[in-house]
Amino acid sequence: MTLIVLAGTALWLLPSCNGIFQGLYDAPQAVSEFGFVSIDESTFSGTIYIDASSYTKWTYIDLNAKTIDTTLLSNDGTEEGLVPDGWHFAVHRYDTKTNEGTVIGTDFTSFDELLASGSIPSGEYVGDVWTEDRITVDMSGMMEGIIVYAPSYYNPELSLWLNVDTSSMPPIYTMSGKVYVLRNSDGSYAAIKLTNYMNDSNVKGFMTIDYIYPLEF
Amino acid sequence: MFFLLLAMCTGYGQSRNVWGTVTDAEGEPLAGAVVTVEDRKNFYSVTDDNGKFFMDIPFDHIVTLHFQLMGYISEDLEISKEMAGGLKVVLEADYMNLETVVVTGTRTPRLLKNTPIMTRVITNEDITKVDALNIVDLLESELPGIELSYAMDQQLTLNMQGFGGNSVLFLVDGERIAGETLDNIDYNRLNLDNVERVEIIKGAASSLYGSNAVGGVVNLISSGAKDPWSVNLNARYGAHNEQRYGGSAGFIAGRFNSLTNVQYTSIDSYQMKNEGDYTTFYGGWNWSVKERLQYEPIDGLKFTARAGYFMRERHMQADSHDRYYDMNAGLKGEYDINDRTRLELSYSFDQYDKSDYLLVNQTDVRDYSNVQNVVRGVYTYDFSSDGKNTIVLGADYMRDYLMSYQFEDNSSYVQHTVDMFAQVESALNEHWTFIGGLRYDFFSQMRTSHFSPKLNLMYKLENWAFRGSFSGGFRAPTLKEMYMSFDMAGIFMIYGNPDLAPEQSENLSLSAEYTWKYVSASVNGFYNWVDNRITTVWNEELNGMMYTNMSSMQVRGVDVSFSMNLPMGLGARLAYTYTNEAIRSGEPLLTQTRPHSATARFSYGKSWKNYGFDISLSGRVLSAVTTEVYTSVTDYEHTETQTYPAYTIWKLTLSQDILRGIKLNVIVDNLFNYIPEYYYSNSPSTTGTTLTVGLSVDIEEFFRK
Repeated sequence: MTLIVLAGTALWLLPSCNGIFQGLYDAPQAVSEFGFVSIDESTFSGTIYIDASSYTKWTYIDLNAKTIDTTLLSNDGTEEGLVPDGWHFAVHRYDTKTNEGTVIGTDFTSFDELLASGSIPSGEYVGDVWTEDRITVDMSGMMEGIIVYAPSYYNPELSLWLNVDTSSMPPIYTMSGKVYVLRNSDGSYAAIKLTNYMNDSNVKGFMTIDYIYPLEF
Repeated sequence: MFFLLLAMCTGYGQSRNVWGTVTDAEGEPLAGAVVTVEDRKNFYSVTDDNGKFFMDIPFDHIVTLHFQLMGYISEDLEISKEMAGGLKVVLEADYMNLETVVVTGTRTPRLLKNTPIMTRVITNEDITKVDALNIVDLLESELPGIELSYAMDQQLTLNMQGFGGNSVLFLVDGERIAGETLDNIDYNRLNLDNVERVEIIKGAASSLYGSNAVGGVVNLISSGAKDPWSVNLNARYGAHNEQRYGGSAGFIAGRFNSLTNVQYTSIDSYQMKNEGDYTTFYGGWNWSVKERLQYEPIDGLKFTARAGYFMRERHMQADSHDRYYDMNAGLKGEYDINDRTRLELSYSFDQYDKSDYLLVNQTDVRDYSNVQNVVRGVYTYDFSSDGKNTIVLGADYMRDYLMSYQFEDNSSYVQHTVDMFAQVESALNEHWTFIGGLRYDFFSQMRTSHFSPKLNLMYKLENWAFRGSFSGGFRAPTLKEMYMSFDMAGIFMIYGNPDLAPEQSENLSLSAEYTWKYVSASVNGFYNWVDNRITTVWNEELNGMMYTNMSSMQVRGVDVSFSMNLPMGLGARLAYTYTNEAIRSGEPLLTQTRPHSATARFSYGKSWKNYGFDISLSGRVLSAVTTEVYTSVTDYEHTETQTYPAYTIWKLTLSQDILRGIKLNVIVDNLFNYIPEYYYSNSPSTTGTTLTVGLSVDIEEFFRK
């Protein structure tokens, strides 16, 4: 009797050898498409999705042409690859730089709030700074205390979109949730908001960025 | 202790009537005491509400009557031909839990006082007094030499006298626990809402339990329903918005016994008071549901079905929550074929998953799943049908499936484990008991096998028990340790190593125990030779970490304990342990074990018809430890001296029983307001003195006469 019951239960549960919870979870959506993944022409807004996980890559975003281009970054700061002149901002992991633009972090957490305010935010717009200790290009020697940084321009304001607290391991990531306004060198404006820094499998360095361009009132 | 007062003697011929009364030491009648005739199991009686029993025994030679009642010390009474009626029997309360049955040491039920394997039991009463949230919370307050620290990612990690979380085997009713994080199981799973008792065996125990029983075994024994019907509701509220709500419902109907438990706990994140290795405690919530259903179709045949669901969420990252799920189920059949033969067959399923819940798009993506399926058979034969000379034969099959984000492309591996074990227990004479055991384990991934031996000897002389044991322990490399390929936050890689050897230990221990009706004391000296301990080691060629075997080390020490429970309601329990870990310099892991630690509990309780109280002061004292720590993760040459300071932390608990069904607990934790000056990873995450209030209501008590 015992044997029959046990054997029956075992047989019934055999398909469960690799688990029974599958239906409970969301499947990671394998997004292979990077770039301007959605564009709403009527509101001049859209979403950009980029793979910025590599330490040796800059991704350049051209809001006019709606294109992204990447370069290969070397330890000395030189880059290999073609970049269109009209790019607006670029992303290296969580770091950012602009094409001679300036940025202000607003107190708005959504584009709707920004648009409802009725005007371009005023205040101090922050330009890029030259840095030699921000843009990490080689982490392989980190355990020996050697981190290689590439010299580069860097926008300290827009880069606040994600705070990485490395005092604990693994680090704690906190997005600012803020809308940033980018004033381009040609006088045009763009609104930018980082909405996610991971892909659906939780790999970090995959940036989802919402934008409005041109931002006009 | 037992008193017999013979009031009246009457002789009969071939058959005779035996009757009498069973009372406690105060003369109150004891209902439900079981009276049996030795060697004649079909003759028995149970005392009625007035403590009276009656038996018709169809033979007239000298017989021994056995009187037994839970919570009292059982006794044997030899009655001659002349003795028969008007027996007055006094049973004394079992203050020291000598009548507790334990199973972990031998895989067969044994009275605690008679078990040849030294076993520490935390009773249901202790569990209630401590009001612990989970098993490690309980162990920390009850056993010296237990320390919990934070590992990376603020995950809990256990140190039990030099042995880490994966070298101490945690079992629930003898079944393993699936899933781990940084070498520790999810202790939050093991809440105590249906735990009858916890049995702890220190030292290696792989001859019965296989892999992981290197430094000890902790076995949680579940309880079933004890009343025809019962409903309990409970709640607890404390500092940092800590909340616990629980409920249970049980019934005994005919040959069915069912108990269902539900529990929800939550706590807010909070900041530490000072700087440290960590500065924030990350809160979250847990859900747990357990069901245990027992069916006894005929006497001696018992089926137990169980199922459990657990879910935990931790709020560490701002935009995603760590989630942990578990689903377990099992079916066990136990059959006492006759007085001598017992057969147990069981099937057990346990699945532990981890996922990340992303708040931005509300997706819950799983990245870890461990599924264990175990089938077991255990056969017990009793040569003398008195439990003194037995053989236990058993075998397990386990299928272990692991999918993990720490494998390349979130892939999965499967390992099959087969084992066989045998253990012989023999009472050589009235003083000496011998146990010999051997187990063989085979692991499919490494195609390796392992033998684990055990030899035990116990000498009993009146109130003294002397025990000596030699036992083998091992831990097979896990699938994680063999196949990991994990990018550690983009900083370095951690690689598995399929060529790992199993961790191995030999344990020698000698103990002396003295037990009297109100007092017990014990001393236990132990010595462990540990070899091939597995840890991550920096590998120059790979420019990353790789799982590697360490060279041999020793863990040795002494445990001393004293406990006392007096009839007037006064109790005390003191325990001290000294641990010394001898690890060669240059090994990737250096000792962090505090050499001295002690726990203490003093309690006083009294109860009347409609009110009772119990006040207890419990605390633990941990000595400082000064050790060397490496200044770099990539070489094992340069160290600096580090001292982790001593500390002591005390708790005052007032439990009140009101109208028999209401229990009100008031707990002042960290009574002397200990706040670490610097929060090391092994400092307690306390912010000072806190107050917790708990209320528990047993509804069925209000329907009792």
